[in-house]
Amino acid sequence: MSSRVGTRRRREIGLAYLLLAPTLLLLAAVLGYPLGWEVWTSFTNLSPLQDRVAFVGLQNYRGQIEDPQFWLAATVTVVHAAITTVAKLALGLGFALLLARPFRGRTLVFLAVFLPWAYPASVSVIGWYWTLSPPITTSYSVFMGTLKYAVDNALGTGAWVFLSVTLFNIWRGSSFIGVLLLAGINAVPPELFEYATLESKSAWQRFWMVTVPVLKPFLALGVFLSLTSGFADLANVWMLTNGRIVFPVIGTHAYWLAIEGGEFGPASALSLMLVPFLLAALLLLFRLFDPPDREPA
Amino acid sequence: MSPRGWRRRLGRQTLVLLVIVYCLFPIYFVLVQSLKTAEEDVFGNPLIVLHPTLENFEELFVSKGEPRGFVGAVLHRSYPFFVWLQNTIVVFTGTVVLTLGTAVAAAYALGRLRPPGFRWWRRVIFASYVIPQTILFVPLYHVVHALGLDDNLLVLVLVYPTTALPFCVWMLSAYFEHLPREIEEAALIEGASRATAFFRIILPLSRPVLVAAGIFTLGTIASDFTIASVFLLSDINQTIPAGLGTMEVALDELLAVAGINLMAIPIVLISACFARGYVRGLTAAMLEGA
Repeated sequence: MSSRVGTRRRREIGLAYLLLAPTLLLLAAVLGYPLGWEVWTSFTNLSPLQDRVAFVGLQNYRGQIEDPQFWLAATVTVVHAAITTVAKLALGLGFALLLARPFRGRTLVFLAVFLPWAYPASVSVIGWYWTLSPPITTSYSVFMGTLKYAVDNALGTGAWVFLSVTLFNIWRGSSFIGVLLLAGINAVPPELFEYATLESKSAWQRFWMVTVPVLKPFLALGVFLSLTSGFADLANVWMLTNGRIVFPVIGTHAYWLAIEGGEFGPASALSLMLVPFLLAALLLLFRLFDPPDREPA
Repeated sequence: MSPRGWRRRLGRQTLVLLVIVYCLFPIYFVLVQSLKTAEEDVFGNPLIVLHPTLENFEELFVSKGEPRGFVGAVLHRSYPFFVWLQNTIVVFTGTVVLTLGTAVAAAYALGRLRPPGFRWWRRVIFASYVIPQTILFVPLYHVVHALGLDDNLLVLVLVYPTTALPFCVWMLSAYFEHLPREIEEAALIEGASRATAFFRIILPLSRPVLVAAGIFTLGTIASDFTIASVFLLSDINQTIPAGLGTMEVALDELLAVAGINLMAIPIVLISACFARGYVRGLTAAMLEGA
């Protein structure tokens, strides 16, 4: 009998690997191989401008750390990520708390909150970009132009485009996080919030003592997805404007090195430098969301 | 009502109004521009349209991609928008189907069959989000070239799922994992095959989570502009985002805006129809998963 159970289990495991295969194959081909290539390239001087590829060890990494451009890009990346993430979380949490309680017209407000994320960013980024930097004399281009030059004068050339992409990123991300947190609030038993209302002195206290801790895993998930997908918006604008982003972040700086400069080695090293930070964020997320020992959250 | 309660209500309604304006203004603005004639676009009020017209939309469908002559030194071409639309439908449908198919298979394996270390498999799959997308398309081109898929729509159908798969697998497998064993076991004891039990019992039960996964996939792939413009080069092979990106916006601003709406409106409508299901599915996955 036990051997029959063993056979059944073995067949189950075999089936499991068979069902996993398509996902793993896709990820290996589209992400795994390119990642391997990037790691290997980051230790070489590979370039389309050169015939011979030589192994250069850590030189690309060292070169980046000594480059003031890298530190500028790193600073902008950190500031950009911090500001957008905080803004998205604050707005998203506000939306979720607003929508958590019933009121007249809630469905409509919910749809309004949902739409910025559902609206395809691939095309809205085109519209957004050309609205904020109008190409020809449309009726609003004088107004936008004035605004653009005012911002660029105050903060440096390119500031306006960067700012507008940041705003776009916040607009779209706050919608996604708002809906995600709303789903999270729905997953919390309502009695918990009722009990908290009875037990806490003020709404402010209730917010920090109950709402935030209860929603922590969902907040962490939102932050992680926003960090990893935030680059896509910048990449979109980069493609759209042929690289005319004056404020470099790590991602766009790596693009620029690779595509404009043909320096694949430094570009690979540069983009890989983000991985440890994202991994740390991921581990934190796993600890909050999917504890290995499955203690009740 | 007491003055305090009244003030509170007013404050709440102002807040709701602000939220609606914040969320919808950019969408409204792009929609209004696309309904304008060239004259109103230049001289009219930017915020409203007095003489709405669909001529920009019509022109997108009339043009077939032939040159329209020169404006100064610039070749003023028309755009094969109808072809872009077809390509987009093919790519998006293919991607959503492929993503859901592979995600459900993997999630069933991880959540129900639970091979040794299934939790680690799930984490490794989710961890693929930390791979920076920045210059990934350079080596990705080697893969595309090796498969003989240069300038082919199939590239997107293969690449796009990886942007949504990790989240979908995680969500679905967390849901499957916490469905009680018994519901499937009863069917198995009655002599049903695993496949029957899956299609008859598990799959119908997980409809809200499948909707959530589908909407997440659609929202994610519809935001890509970069991959589409890198890999689709000739204009008859482009999707709408890639194609619109090649437009000479200085000359065809109104056409571009109309194109944006033609892509966005169907997707927004589909998503809006499933919006409540999307939240319900996310909640279900979180209830089971957390």
